[in-house]
Amino acid sequence: MLHPSLLPLLLKKVAAVVWGGNSWSSAVIMARTGFCDSKPLLDLHKKAEERRPALRAWANSSEPKDRRHPPEGEEPRRGQKVEPECKWERRLPVSIKEGNITGYYESDLTAWVGLSYELLYHQGLESLLRREVEKAMEKLDLTWDRACAWDMFEHMMKNQYRNAFASAELPRPFTDTTRAVLVDWLIQVHEMLHFQDETLYLAISLMNRGLRQIKVSTVNLQLLGVVCLFLAAKKEECLVPEVSELCYLMDNGYTKKQLLRMERRVLSGLQFDLSHCSPLDFLLFTASIARCSAKVVWMARYLLELSLLEGECVVYLPMQLAGAVLCLARRVLQEPPTPDGDAAWCIASIIYIGSETTLLRIMHILAGAAAKAHGQENRGTFVKYSSALTMHVSSHPVLQNVSCLLPAYLKWPESLVVLASHEKIAEAWVPQRLDEDLKL
Amino acid sequence: MAQGASFPYEEVAEIGGGAYGTVYKARDTESGKFVALKSVRVQTDQDGLPISTVREVALLKRLEQFDHPNVVRLMDVCAIQRTDSETKVTLVFEHVDQDLKTYLEKAPAPGLSQDRIKDLMRQLLCGLGFLHSNRVMHRDLKPENVLVTSGGQVKLADFGLARIYSCHMALTPVVVTLWYRPPEVLLGSSYATPVDIWSTGCIFAEMFRRKPLFCGESEMDQLGKIFQVIGLPSEEEWPKDVTITRKQFLPPNHPPITNFVPELSEQGAELLLEMLTFDPLQRISALNALEHEYLKEEETADTEGSTREGDAIP
Repeated sequence: MLHPSLLPLLLKKVAAVVWGGNSWSSAVIMARTGFCDSKPLLDLHKKAEERRPALRAWANSSEPKDRRHPPEGEEPRRGQKVEPECKWERRLPVSIKEGNITGYYESDLTAWVGLSYELLYHQGLESLLRREVEKAMEKLDLTWDRACAWDMFEHMMKNQYRNAFASAELPRPFTDTTRAVLVDWLIQVHEMLHFQDETLYLAISLMNRGLRQIKVSTVNLQLLGVVCLFLAAKKEECLVPEVSELCYLMDNGYTKKQLLRMERRVLSGLQFDLSHCSPLDFLLFTASIARCSAKVVWMARYLLELSLLEGECVVYLPMQLAGAVLCLARRVLQEPPTPDGDAAWCIASIIYIGSETTLLRIMHILAGAAAKAHGQENRGTFVKYSSALTMHVSSHPVLQNVSCLLPAYLKWPESLVVLASHEKIAEAWVPQRLDEDLKL
Repeated sequence: MAQGASFPYEEVAEIGGGAYGTVYKARDTESGKFVALKSVRVQTDQDGLPISTVREVALLKRLEQFDHPNVVRLMDVCAIQRTDSETKVTLVFEHVDQDLKTYLEKAPAPGLSQDRIKDLMRQLLCGLGFLHSNRVMHRDLKPENVLVTSGGQVKLADFGLARIYSCHMALTPVVVTLWYRPPEVLLGSSYATPVDIWSTGCIFAEMFRRKPLFCGESEMDQLGKIFQVIGLPSEEEWPKDVTITRKQFLPPNHPPITNFVPELSEQGAELLLEMLTFDPLQRISALNALEHEYLKEEETADTEGSTREGDAIP
């Protein structure tokens, strides 16, 4: 369908559409970190003429013979605004705005891509990305109407910033170890109660917020965890366990009254805000666009669930976690590449936000977590993902030492340069970034 | 009212015995700003707060993330236990002094200008479209809960509350006004988001008339008044699952809608009739109404129109 050498260019162009400029660095990052591995970075040697038609052709899915002339009604018009219908004031940068296009023109990329076709590319590629996003949103039931899909996607992208914490630090006396013990226990309880995965991610997210917003003593830590799972179930599940059942699961260490009091405290403390931007949604969404194999998806889901146990991971955006687990899963499984698969993978990488450093750091954390889980068979997640249903992903031998497959992320000084430009991209989504990278 | 350090609001005045309980104007003791407090007492059995309350309040909180300009801000939620079996959930909303009812009453003699009405309608429909696309229906839209700030901004209030309350307060003997209710609700048929469009249509007419369009005294009377204006629907249109039959109403020969809303332009009348369509499935949606010619019309053109009409009225 698309010539492989065009992938990097395509990537660059769409990134420009989405983020308005500065796409150069993102293309480099995606390539480096395996988001578009096995492909040449940027094909600078081809003439612009050769690149344009195929790109356009793919973007609009038109026949090769139509290449030279855009179909009627699609004449590139300078200054034409492609704005999705506005329901109210649009504040997100995803849609093409004048400012973005101008910003893009000013970048040095204009030097090697003909100006006259710029807007046409923008339109074609935006519609391509849009179509993919809409399809995936619909497939995953993240939207109830295709017309709203793009809006929902924009909201998801923007909203995920509410989910990451500025710091991984826990209030005393809690440590990452105590937290991990609690999360592991909750994962097992969750499994026992046959809840959906969504409920688990919500519960852990509520617990992370609860730990920081409500004063709890060590004695009540388990109670907090259970209440978060209870509330997540009330929000997501059809069948909610009885309070007495939950108390029983805690060896009746707490009374029902204590549990209900904690429920009120958590609800008030969290202001009844039980919304959550699940990294699992981002994972399935990205995997759907990237046409990942079932095994890659299961592997990524396993790694994503391991991230719940890692206290450090709370600072990352759901999209970053999803991107990292998919990259790592591909590394581990080493499936033979296909041109279509690579094209889809590149399209999916467009929606990734963040720097290469972040991506690699998460991959390293999870590689460590996966190796650790291998040694401790009592870990809930490991056991859960060793079943036939999940294609035995957790017992994959490579996971025992997957870190060696990854480049050491601190070796690249230029990553800091890349970081600077990525901060800008991130700001485009939301002004207050919570990126740890600056603390490196 | 149980108040503690965790409840930093002091009541200033009662601002209304709403259908679902008393609403208080209160002061935020920290910021000094005024807020509106709406409380609901929910039965808490052995399984804690009911699932429906948790979900509905969480939904209202989620809507907050969008920060929609035409929807009243929910600033805070508190859950306070009163007894073993009852918890009071207090929703703290931003306080807006004026509702559309007083706004219409206060409007000087000839009434609102065409421009102003269009602007209010656009804002109202915009807020409603937002709620509907998030699967929230208002169910009790009326001029009293369409707030208008001093800057002329429309903010919808009390949406989504209907469901929070109705689950737990079904037995409260409340008097809810019938005037803005659509036929499907009056007939006891099933209903969804189109109910709000009907109410919006009634409000639209009221902006011109400065008095309600249908002032029924009972459900049958309300239906009769509606059919006098929109005509009696055909036998095919009449819902199958209701006890009230079509024969109970006289087939009146109904005059054109402009008899009831005289200042309405042709396009305005068209929009109004699309909102007051008997069949909820045929009724225009909020987002489509926003696209209607009447509301899309250029400001300048209708400014002249309204001055002329304004002049015509003594």
